[in-house]
Amino acid sequence: MPLLRRLVLLTFAALALAFPATGARADAAEISAIVDRFATASKFPQVEAVIEALGAAGDPLAVPALRALEAGELQVAPDGRVVIERGDALLDPVTLEAAAPVEGRLKKVRTKNSIRRMIGDVISGLTLRAPEPAIRMTAAETIFASADAAQLDALEAALAEETDAGVKSRMEEARAAILLTASDDPAVQMAAIDIIADRGDQQALAVLATYANQASNADVQAAAREGVAEIESTLAMWQAGQNIWYGVSLGSVLFLAAIGLAITFGVMGVINMAHGEMVMLGAYTTFVVQETIRNSFPGAFEFSLLIALPLAFLVSGLVGLVMERGIIRHLYGRPLETLLATWGVSLILQQAVRTIFGPNNREVGNPDWMSGAFMIGEMSVTWSRLWIVVFALCVFGALLFAMNRTPLGLQMRAVTQNRRMASAMGIRTPWVDALTFALGSGIAGIAGVALSQIDNVSPNLGRTYIIDSFMVVVFGGVGNLWGTLVGGLTLGVVNKFLEPYAGAVLGKILILVFIILFIQRRPRGLFALKGRAVE
Amino acid sequence: MKFGRRTVLGAATALATMSLAFAAQAQETIKVGILHSLSGTMAISETTLKDVMLMLIEEQNKKGGVLGKQLEAVVVDPASDWPLFAEKARELIAGNDVSAVFGCWTSVSRKSVLPVFEELNSILFYPVQYEGEESQRNVFYTGAAPNQQAIPAVDYLMNEEGVERWVLAGTDYVYPRTTNKILEAYLKAKGVAEEDIMINYTPFGHSDWQTIVSDIKAFGAAGKKTAVVSTINGDANVPFYKELGNQGVAATDIPVVAFSVGEEELAGLDTEPLIGHLAAWNYFMSADTDANAEFIEAWKAFAGEDRVTNDPMEAHYIGFNMWVKAVEAAGTTDPDAVIDSLIGVAVPNLTGGYSAMMPNHHITKPVLVGEIQGDGQFETVWETPGLVAGDAWSDHLPESAPLISDWRAPMSCGNFNTETGKCGGQGS
Amino acid sequence: MLFTRFLAGGLKSPVIIGALVVILAIGVIVPVLNLAVAPGSAFHIPDHMVPLFGKYLCYAMAALALDLVWGYCGILSLGHGAFFALGGYAMGMHLMREIGDRGVYGNAVLPDFMVFLNWKELPWFWHGFDSFVFACIMVAAAPGILAFVFGWFAFRSRVTGVYLSIITQAMTYALLLAFFRNDMGFGGNNGLTDFKDVLGFDLQSGRVRSTLFFLTAFFLALNLLIAAAIVGSKYGKILRAVRDAEPRTRFLGYRPDKIKLFAWTVSAIMAGVAGALYVPQVGIINPGEFAPANSIEMVVWTAVGGRGTLVGPIGGAILVNAAKSWFTGVLPEYWLFALGALFIFTTLYLPDGVAGLIRKMVGKARSKPRGKDEETEAPAADAPAGAAE
Repeated sequence: MPLLRRLVLLTFAALALAFPATGARADAAEISAIVDRFATASKFPQVEAVIEALGAAGDPLAVPALRALEAGELQVAPDGRVVIERGDALLDPVTLEAAAPVEGRLKKVRTKNSIRRMIGDVISGLTLRAPEPAIRMTAAETIFASADAAQLDALEAALAEETDAGVKSRMEEARAAILLTASDDPAVQMAAIDIIADRGDQQALAVLATYANQASNADVQAAAREGVAEIESTLAMWQAGQNIWYGVSLGSVLFLAAIGLAITFGVMGVINMAHGEMVMLGAYTTFVVQETIRNSFPGAFEFSLLIALPLAFLVSGLVGLVMERGIIRHLYGRPLETLLATWGVSLILQQAVRTIFGPNNREVGNPDWMSGAFMIGEMSVTWSRLWIVVFALCVFGALLFAMNRTPLGLQMRAVTQNRRMASAMGIRTPWVDALTFALGSGIAGIAGVALSQIDNVSPNLGRTYIIDSFMVVVFGGVGNLWGTLVGGLTLGVVNKFLEPYAGAVLGKILILVFIILFIQRRPRGLFALKGRAVE
Repeated sequence: MKFGRRTVLGAATALATMSLAFAAQAQETIKVGILHSLSGTMAISETTLKDVMLMLIEEQNKKGGVLGKQLEAVVVDPASDWPLFAEKARELIAGNDVSAVFGCWTSVSRKSVLPVFEELNSILFYPVQYEGEESQRNVFYTGAAPNQQAIPAVDYLMNEEGVERWVLAGTDYVYPRTTNKILEAYLKAKGVAEEDIMINYTPFGHSDWQTIVSDIKAFGAAGKKTAVVSTINGDANVPFYKELGNQGVAATDIPVVAFSVGEEELAGLDTEPLIGHLAAWNYFMSADTDANAEFIEAWKAFAGEDRVTNDPMEAHYIGFNMWVKAVEAAGTTDPDAVIDSLIGVAVPNLTGGYSAMMPNHHITKPVLVGEIQGDGQFETVWETPGLVAGDAWSDHLPESAPLISDWRAPMSCGNFNTETGKCGGQGS
Repeated sequence: MLFTRFLAGGLKSPVIIGALVVILAIGVIVPVLNLAVAPGSAFHIPDHMVPLFGKYLCYAMAALALDLVWGYCGILSLGHGAFFALGGYAMGMHLMREIGDRGVYGNAVLPDFMVFLNWKELPWFWHGFDSFVFACIMVAAAPGILAFVFGWFAFRSRVTGVYLSIITQAMTYALLLAFFRNDMGFGGNNGLTDFKDVLGFDLQSGRVRSTLFFLTAFFLALNLLIAAAIVGSKYGKILRAVRDAEPRTRFLGYRPDKIKLFAWTVSAIMAGVAGALYVPQVGIINPGEFAPANSIEMVVWTAVGGRGTLVGPIGGAILVNAAKSWFTGVLPEYWLFALGALFIFTTLYLPDGVAGLIRKMVGKARSKPRGKDEETEAPAADAPAGAAE
């Protein structure tokens, strides 16, 4: 036991060296004593008091406990000990060593938004001098947003010894944010406004705007207003870029939803009302893959989408194949009746999925590489959208290649252009029909994998996309893959530029009216087919 | 073609037997109608309610039924098709002679069946939070009225989180419209300026939230604490929350409080990025009471281990128990007698108190504000000190402020105007 | 007089005459069995069945309207639900105004949904609907004008085939979204409901219901007669010529756009009348009626019944809807399987619908050139809408 204690103390010493002292400095026992007060903190104000005490102690040793509290991992054992429950393990909140097992039920130390905010502030004060630049950066950012004057001393001290230029400028901005409100010297405030205005992003705008609302000195207020206006005009410029990006990403979603239909409907002429359900099947395949991975191979979750892609293609393609062989092949030459039969198929598929998976939404998770966002200047780009755009382009490229450069593509085009001649040349036209339909359905299936990342995975998924898909294909010009691409992107961008002015509902109505009018001008869509195949 | 002929003839015979099937039903049981969509867009929410009703009826039958008779559930599928709701309600009441109906989710489905219940004089228990502005003799509203959900939630944000700037985002239909009207009036009465309120409507099933989420972010960057009050309807929530998570709108910066997002909706989401966003309900699955533990256990045994419970389910639990109690008290299933004896009936709810049926056919409930947790559950962070009685007619809308509802004799009126001293809806 | 002579032209076919007699007979028998026969009797039709049958007849009327353009003119409309709903809204607005001050807020001018959303005055387009006659005119005018304008542009631009189908779908979808908006002043998603009476007669009384039912049957018969007269006239022949070979008809000197426009507008008005009769019997009209799925269902009824037969779609609408009513009650969890299977089965094994089947069974199958019309809709039938260079 004494040995262990000594070891622990040694660790503390090492830690203390790693985090040089910032003013008041407590030792591990003291921090432990404060952390243990969480055991009796059953009301929110008591929890807040403990956090405050930890902040006042000023020792980074408290950080793990605070992070655990933020994550909801800090638990109180029936015997009054405070422990961290991480997975199946119980840890000591300060030393992070395995804690003695607990009899009975653990009780979570409760938090809420305001407490989490407070934790964030306190942690940032404690980690301003953490060894990792990234953590220091986060700390500086948090202080900038909260502009908490209590952190000023710590910030100054950290700033004095900061070596990383990026972190340093962030810290200076944070200091400026604090000084702007804390100082009453106009010169200091003016300087602060300059620093903040140079930062020029949305957070800077928030800080300046807050101050501009409550400034006491008229000159400083005017400067703050100027800074606000300056940032707003920069942001407005970025906003246009942002809108284009939103439009492109919406367009790529529309394109993905429609591209399978561009084959089954556009190339083959089947009014495929079950197209949406093919998309849905792809999404449910993703769900099943993720569920299997969660249960059996949790390590492979990051690859779940890559595994789901070929499977979704196979599942939807197979269903498409069966549909073509079983139903649609009897209806060639009667394309309008395919509408009826495929409508029936869509009802059956929907209800089948509802019966098997239940009517509720199913959870399809985003792998880490599809979560979150990054900034290009002041333009925020979410990873999931970016990957979907990239994916849409890949699908398009692959499809073009398949149609124009492979023997199957050649046969498909031959059959659609002149069935009898193709047949006379020895092409097995029924087989090509089946494969074409399967290809279109399979593509719809992989679109479902992508859509599962941003939308509901429910039996209604297909219904929400079917009309949009038809609009895209018809707008772009039936039977033309390029038309579908350009059509989807155009509708997406136009929609996103209308939305801020007309609102989401009216924007959508205007798009539909636009399509109706556009078809009057070009009755065969954007990329109309010319020549004899038309009539 | 032989096969075809036979099938068509079969269908014809089936049609002929249809009317007989309506008429010929035995009388030993008490029938309870369940009018929830099992297909179409609303199946996603309503199927669960059908299941919970079946479970409650099964349990009641194990306890010996009602009035010594077994209960029999009559399930129909109105298929999220509003006129079909009216048709199916008619079929249940007139064709199947049910004693009460538990059903509907959307306001429009309720509006669609209202005249049917009035005409055929039957009883409907409506379990979903709704916009208020209604009190009908044949309907018992076991979900929350706006004053039992929206107003307390806004109070919480205002007092505990210090919110000064408000985004009211909703789907463009009557519940969000009315709720936002009420909230707007309420916020302005509390001194919130016009420019600090942003109202935004989106179509049903809206799936591209990029612009709106970034607008919210921009609106929140004006230097005042901002919150979003979301009346976004079911299906559109998943893409909304996914976008919030991806664009990094953290609950500590801009909390979103939702009135239509419960445990069921969260089951379709990875809630890790959403921790701390809020919902206001009258029940959370996490409620720590014995009654709730029992209910959850029974539900999981009935419907499956991975199923969750939610607020409208509790509403049906309360409504069904109230109906049982009222029928036992009245000694008959005659609608008039049951309607009269329902008022004043109090049954335990699942959050550790009692809910009572008020004379305006709304019930008393606690209001809870919960934060989303990583496991898809809510943790209660605030609750009203006592029970809140549902107010059919909002005090914050000028035209409905003077209206009150009291279905007890001698008033027996759902929309009595205290200014003119007249019961509305009778003509002048 | 000219009109009666025109109508008489519809009475050439014995099938049409038979159908007219049956429809009118149903229109009389159902109310009689409901009102005059004692409830205990085996022949009694219960109260709740009368509006149900009335609903079927309204759907039948919509299917008939669709058949006029699809079966005889080759226009596959995926937007007839819009015309149906517009007619319904026109009637619903009148019924709303009839409520007067019996609404919950006792406001004599504004409907309830406007009152609690703080509307101060009646929007301009609601004026006039307090008059029944005006509402009746609008029942025909609203869908008629929309169809006329839409058709005028579309047919002149020679939008045909699937392109036309898809823009009709876009039309009804746009209207769906528009009517969903509360700001439009049509009650948003809830639509118009809580009707009390029509022309002073209580909508909940059995007699009024029976009268409405009879009126529905009467209008169905009238529409059938008009449609038959149109189809049987010289104009009808040109109409079919347009269907079978539009360019050839044009080269012969006809103006296909004008010819199509007439049938299209008449069809829209018929659908509007169906909608107007539908609303008082169902008790609600809301934007859901604009849903593209509803319009597709109308197409399905027509196809199941047998398009290009006028009588077939009437039967198809009744058959499919009766099946739906029955399945949703008996097999609430599985009815979609049954309905879906019915559609697939019909297309595969009954290409001419039930009417075609009956015709074959009766053995009167006349050799009608039925293969031809599909070819126009599908350019080069054996080479599905080719993707050329």
